[in-house]
Amino acid sequence: MTQTDPSPLAIEFCGMPFSTPIVLLSGCVGFGEEYTRVKGFSNRDAGAVCLKGTTLEPRPGNRPHRVYETQAGMLNAIGLQNPGVDKVVNGILPSLDFSETRFIANVSGSSVEEYHEVTRRFDDSPIDAIEINISCPNVKEGGVAFGNDPAMSARVVEACRKATNKPLITKLSPNQTDIAGNARGCIEAGSDAFSVINTLMGMAIDIESRTPIIGNNQGGLSGPAIKPVALLKVHQVYQVCRDHNIPIIGQGGITSPEDAIEFIIAGASAIGIGTALFYDPLICSKINNGIEAYLNRHELPSVDRLVGTLQLHQQPAPKCGC
Amino acid sequence: MNKPHRDTLYLENAEILSHEAFAGEQFILRIVAPECATKAQPGSFVHLQCDPLQPMRRPISIMRVSPEEGWVDLLYKRVGTGTTLLSRRQPGESISLLGPIGQPFRPDPSRTKPLLIGGGVGMPPMVFLAESLYQERKKQPFVILGSEVPFPFNPQPSQLLLPELPADVIATMPLMDDWGIPCRLASQQDFAGCFQGYVTELARHWLISLNKQARGEVEIFSCGPHPMLEAVAELAAEFDLPCQVSLEEFMACGVGGCAGCVVEVQTAEGPVMKRVCVDGPVFEASKVF
Repeated sequence: MTQTDPSPLAIEFCGMPFSTPIVLLSGCVGFGEEYTRVKGFSNRDAGAVCLKGTTLEPRPGNRPHRVYETQAGMLNAIGLQNPGVDKVVNGILPSLDFSETRFIANVSGSSVEEYHEVTRRFDDSPIDAIEINISCPNVKEGGVAFGNDPAMSARVVEACRKATNKPLITKLSPNQTDIAGNARGCIEAGSDAFSVINTLMGMAIDIESRTPIIGNNQGGLSGPAIKPVALLKVHQVYQVCRDHNIPIIGQGGITSPEDAIEFIIAGASAIGIGTALFYDPLICSKINNGIEAYLNRHELPSVDRLVGTLQLHQQPAPKCGC
Repeated sequence: MNKPHRDTLYLENAEILSHEAFAGEQFILRIVAPECATKAQPGSFVHLQCDPLQPMRRPISIMRVSPEEGWVDLLYKRVGTGTTLLSRRQPGESISLLGPIGQPFRPDPSRTKPLLIGGGVGMPPMVFLAESLYQERKKQPFVILGSEVPFPFNPQPSQLLLPELPADVIATMPLMDDWGIPCRLASQQDFAGCFQGYVTELARHWLISLNKQARGEVEIFSCGPHPMLEAVAELAAEFDLPCQVSLEEFMACGVGGCAGCVVEVQTAEGPVMKRVCVDGPVFEASKVF
């Protein structure tokens, strides 16, 4: 047997080896085993899998309808349905096969203290990393209410930092004015990486009943519809992260290798797949193959050589007074 | 590690064998999906890609399967963008199917008189269950199908007489006669040979006609619009009969990953949100209504 060359798709993300840049996104794949129902699907096709958002106590989640298709996308308002951190740590994590991929917890809460405590309990578990969800648009307290306030975002990150030495990934909301400024504050508070972006807040209305279709009235928009927004946010956050060597999981509407490559060029070290799985559960291997073909075509030895290689058009200097 | 759930759903690129349109925006789609045809059970559904432009699949219940010939029959109604795009797909084209998904109906071996009640696009699981009961030949089912638009088949006078019902209520789905399963049709519309009224009214007629011992053998299975299922659940409670219903909800992943398709289910520990896709779509009526 000869030693094979390392895969050009393999990356190191916050010190963790990822077999590919693909990260399966929180809320789309349950607690890591759901998609393995599909023959041909393997967690090995993803570098990491983010588990469903977890809180200190169990949460029932929102009333139906929780999902609704819109033009080129979908709204969701699940409301962090989860069995609580202790059940996740003691009941679910032991059933996961950590030889297949890296598993990342996603923590949420209604208070800074809850974020701290949930993170602390995951710290004492085999989980590989922790994603801080300060951008869930579908819960009344915490979530995006924290993520849209830079000072609050930093406080949450700081509290989680004190609870763990595992890699901390902060999931940023697009529903804010200055995402790059928020990222800067989170880096200072101890964030090791970012997920960019969470869903955009949206609504759909049943015109016959004149009521919102989503039970929670509003939901988070995902899918191809948000890709241009996500790409710009990754580009903006990368301007801050580049100098600190902080990696980004770029996400929002990726459905093809070309989409993934755009995000990597914009500055993402890894790319998140969520809504696209719903349409094609076997999309990971297609995206992996497509990225690899692109690397070959451009004679790049590994995917990390592509990260942040965007060459902006030079803009003419603004004229005074215009 | 013991992971029996793994590799239980199949993605199949299913060729369309036929795609027949019926009055009332109804369509019957026959597609080649051998894995699904072999493994589906009554109550199972498939998650279909209607069109490459649609980001979400559509859950559609299975009406018939042929494990020998490898096809699956689906009945659906054109109601929105997804099903409109689906209705344009032609024989010879392929369509991506994920399935078979869901917990099936679980008839109680000790009850010999299954009462199957299907309404509108809720008819398919009842047809599937009836065909499976016909193949097992262990029970004496009675089937009631209801529709407010013309039925997606040619109703015929049944050769299987039911003296306990009004003589003019004689129309059936021809396949049911072929299987030797008594079946009657109900509609608010004035359709020839059909019971004019709700499916639950016809079911009540039939239940009342049974003696106490026979009624104790009945178990109800149902699928249809929400108000109909609610009425069926009430009927079952009134006659103290077990009842399983198949539910529908907007659905994203179809594999249990997103918890988007939930329904509130009463349990010993209180109400919990269960996923219609993998925890259902079949639930005990008394737990969801």
